[in-house]
Amino acid sequence: MNVANEKVINDLLRPIGYGKGFLIWMSFLTAALVACLYAYVIQLKVGLGVTGLRDYVSWGIYIANFVFFVATSLIGMLISAVLGLTQIKWASPLARIAEIISLAFAAVAGLVIISDMGRPDRFLYLFFYGRIQSPIIWDVTVVTTYVVISTLLLYLPMIPDIALCRDRLTHVPKWQRKLYEILSVNWQNSENQQRIIRQGVKTLLILIIPVALAIHTVTSWLFAVTHRPGWDSTIFGPYFVTGAFVSGTAAVIIAMYVFRKIYHLEQYITVDLFDKIGKLLVLVSLVYLYFNINEYLVPVYKLKHADAAHLHELFQGRFAVLYWSVQLGGLLLPIILLLFKPMRKPLPLLIVAIFVIIGAWFKRYLIVIPTMQHPFLPIQNVPIEYQIYKPTLIEIAITIAPIILVLMIITVLSKTFPVLPIQEVESHEDN
Amino acid sequence: MRIIERKRVILFSTLLLFAIAGRAEEWQVPADKEKRTSPYLFDEQMRKKGEDIFKRSCASCHGMPGQGNNIRSLVPIPPDLAEKKVQQQSDGAIFYKITVGRGAMPSFKNSLTEQERWQVVAFLRSFNKDYVQPPLARLVDSAKLRSVKVIPTFDTVQHKVVVLIKAFQKTDTLPLSEAEVSLFVQRYFGNLPIDSVRTTSQNGLVTFNFPTNLPGDSVGNVQLIVKVNHEMFGELEKTYTAKLGVPTIKPPLTEKNAMWNVGKKAPRWLIISYLLVVGTIWFFLIRIILSIRKIKQTGKNPKL
Amino acid sequence: MGNIRTGLKNASRRKFLQQLALWGGGSVLAGGAIASALHYEHKKKGVPHIKEIAEHTHQLKVNKEALSELQRRGREGIPGKRWIWVIDLAKCKNAQRCMSACQQAHHLRPEQSHMNVLVMQASEHTPAYYMPKPCQHCDNPPCVSVCPVDATFKRQDGVVLIDNQRCIGCRFCIAACPYNARMFNWIEPLYAKEDANMEYNVELNLPQRKGTITKCLMSADRLREGKLPYCVSACPNGVYWFGDENEDVVTNGTTHETMRLSELLEKNGAYQLMPELGTKPRVYYLPPKGRSVPVKEEDKEKAIEYVHHFES
Repeated sequence: MNVANEKVINDLLRPIGYGKGFLIWMSFLTAALVACLYAYVIQLKVGLGVTGLRDYVSWGIYIANFVFFVATSLIGMLISAVLGLTQIKWASPLARIAEIISLAFAAVAGLVIISDMGRPDRFLYLFFYGRIQSPIIWDVTVVTTYVVISTLLLYLPMIPDIALCRDRLTHVPKWQRKLYEILSVNWQNSENQQRIIRQGVKTLLILIIPVALAIHTVTSWLFAVTHRPGWDSTIFGPYFVTGAFVSGTAAVIIAMYVFRKIYHLEQYITVDLFDKIGKLLVLVSLVYLYFNINEYLVPVYKLKHADAAHLHELFQGRFAVLYWSVQLGGLLLPIILLLFKPMRKPLPLLIVAIFVIIGAWFKRYLIVIPTMQHPFLPIQNVPIEYQIYKPTLIEIAITIAPIILVLMIITVLSKTFPVLPIQEVESHEDN
Repeated sequence: MRIIERKRVILFSTLLLFAIAGRAEEWQVPADKEKRTSPYLFDEQMRKKGEDIFKRSCASCHGMPGQGNNIRSLVPIPPDLAEKKVQQQSDGAIFYKITVGRGAMPSFKNSLTEQERWQVVAFLRSFNKDYVQPPLARLVDSAKLRSVKVIPTFDTVQHKVVVLIKAFQKTDTLPLSEAEVSLFVQRYFGNLPIDSVRTTSQNGLVTFNFPTNLPGDSVGNVQLIVKVNHEMFGELEKTYTAKLGVPTIKPPLTEKNAMWNVGKKAPRWLIISYLLVVGTIWFFLIRIILSIRKIKQTGKNPKL
Repeated sequence: MGNIRTGLKNASRRKFLQQLALWGGGSVLAGGAIASALHYEHKKKGVPHIKEIAEHTHQLKVNKEALSELQRRGREGIPGKRWIWVIDLAKCKNAQRCMSACQQAHHLRPEQSHMNVLVMQASEHTPAYYMPKPCQHCDNPPCVSVCPVDATFKRQDGVVLIDNQRCIGCRFCIAACPYNARMFNWIEPLYAKEDANMEYNVELNLPQRKGTITKCLMSADRLREGKLPYCVSACPNGVYWFGDENEDVVTNGTTHETMRLSELLEKNGAYQLMPELGTKPRVYYLPPKGRSVPVKEEDKEKAIEYVHHFES
């Protein structure tokens, strides 16, 4: 082990530990989470009536949030598997950040769905009485599988790093040392052990591709299997998957920037890395733009009876401001801006990524709500609040809760384990 | 241009309304029907039964008599039946109107028996203090009624039902003429009238054409009801079973495996592909999870 | 020698311990799941808490059997029947008696209408008309296809029912139904207290439950008794014909007149609602030709508003 490597190890292990900043940040998150959970208690007591949901718009921001979570969780597959298997080397230091984001979002997605259930007490019925024809059962299956794969894909390549933690971090509390000891599974860096990990990771990288495609394709089928205008689309699967890459890449950029600043990793999360991932964001956004054109231009051309109303609502009607902000500010403008190199510097890229990810959330809103707002048959003989959907405060609080939870998971993971794979960084440095 | 057109439309529809309303004033009842009188005495029992029928079949439009809760938005307005203009009419006229119906007022010829229709008249008359029932058309004599014989023949080839009606007349049981005979097929919610109401000839016979395509049970059996009504002998009803229908097998709608059927009846291909895909992926996942144990073991004993 | 033996012993012990842990963990999980399910089933029926386990399970069993009888026949349907519904739009005057009769029978809130009378208009110059819209009880029901727990199901006699003891409230069926035939109990149902001790009847969907779906049931409880549905019997205007497709006969709910189904459909040029979706509804409509009462002006405005919504 040379001096340079020694420095890398020290730099990457330094952020680990629960300092003052961590505690303040976590207690802030906890307080916010408790407030949001209180909102959920109210919903449990009174019923889903506390939300803006009614019989016509019966899926609202909970489902939009769910779709957003599943989408963002797909990034692990893109960075680790697609770029990994195609030997694109620059992305390999980002694999762990991507996997942490994937795991956090995928694991919490399940909870988001529970918050939308009228009878969360019957959640286990999905396993007792599961009906194989329902896309929800497929979704439960693939989300579970994906969480397991993401966990393994985070954990397996991290074992050597955990062993490093075990060996180097002697000042940490006892329980943490115990944790490293258990998780490092007697790692001796032997040839044999390395082979097992290599094989395991390779299988996982292959497995995660179909499973990740499935998780978001099945999520899109929750909509595409219905007859409703705006959902009844054959390209919904790839449309969702490509959209997922956009929001996931944006999430990784934000995480990169934050870790870089707070953990002082400027030397490892380089400006060049930002430049490259900025280009990746342009690429995935262009693909998504292509699917957007398909998804909107074809029905606009025909203006079928029910589609016409839906499109009018989006382009000129009640949702027009939101729609154009999302499409221009969250997709088209970022593509144009990121074509210029100065915009791919860390700070400008961060700002663009924030716009992209906010746009991505509202894009899910635009996919879920407008369609439900104008069904085939007129909405009559019901009170006004049945006709127009407006999320309530309680509903918004319950929607924020999973986001807080994701932040907590990411914080804890990044404070317990090195956020950059030490071996990968070492080999980069050597090159 | 448009305004003129609209005016024309209004004018026209007003005229039309008047025409309809005018017709409402003069619902002509044939003279012989108007003179008809009830064969039943309007006693308390008749009125009670009539009230039940009235509530079920008439009150929704006419309201309860004397309470003025008839639906005035309908055209023509269904009158409150306690009104003078209704009560002035003869029993026969009211009976006739219930029987044939007109416009929005349905015909109750098939849904109510003669007796039931008279029961409704009896109920309506209870709202008229000045009403005195005219002499009965005939006294229904139970001995006479018991002598009536109904002899049906079912021609399953020609799809005809011939009914011979006999009754004890003077000295002997003879074919009965002038009897009204109607034929029904029993169904789940009501009786389906077959052909039209026939009147027996001198030889006491009536013939009904039976539809060739009416579904029966699995062998083609249908339940038939023959209703006979005669001025002098009264009303009676008999039930028969005959192979006049089309044999119909009635399989449950839920037989096939389908996307919409219950979980147990999911399409086979779906179950197989689901298990295959999930099984394959989890096979590898479990192997990988187990391999972690191997790492641990190798770590303990590097030579292994 | 000794070393190998101890090694083996250790290995086998480890294996045993691992298996024990696996089985133990598994059974604890499974046990927990079953216990919570049983506990819930138990609580749901309002059985008083009994401490002795034997007695408890006995009681549970008895209740389950009683329950399963109503559930079993409710889920099976009436053999040999295929219910069919014909709605004569020419007769509908928007009296809305069907709606109130239904709401009464199923203890619904005023904004919940299993049966909803809509004012319809296809395009600018076509007429407005009233259209009673129940669940279409499709033969290819999209709502049933998507249900994850067999809570909604189609019976052999064609009725699409909902079991609110099973429903998890995911509302996928609402999203899937193109006819908006499904409603949700967003808050505690209207007669939650009064109906609390009622035994659940899946054919009547009573008592209603918070957080579950409710929908038109074709009055399956009445059909079993040979009676016409609540809404059909309540109509003052002869709009509804109801019957059995297997018998090729329908009976009018107002006049009780009975006639051939095929003849009624043929003579009046019957049609189905959105047949292009392939849902195969069990409800037929007779076109609104020769109506005796015009559509009210304010209703016409509602209808044209709906047209403009689509034409813009």
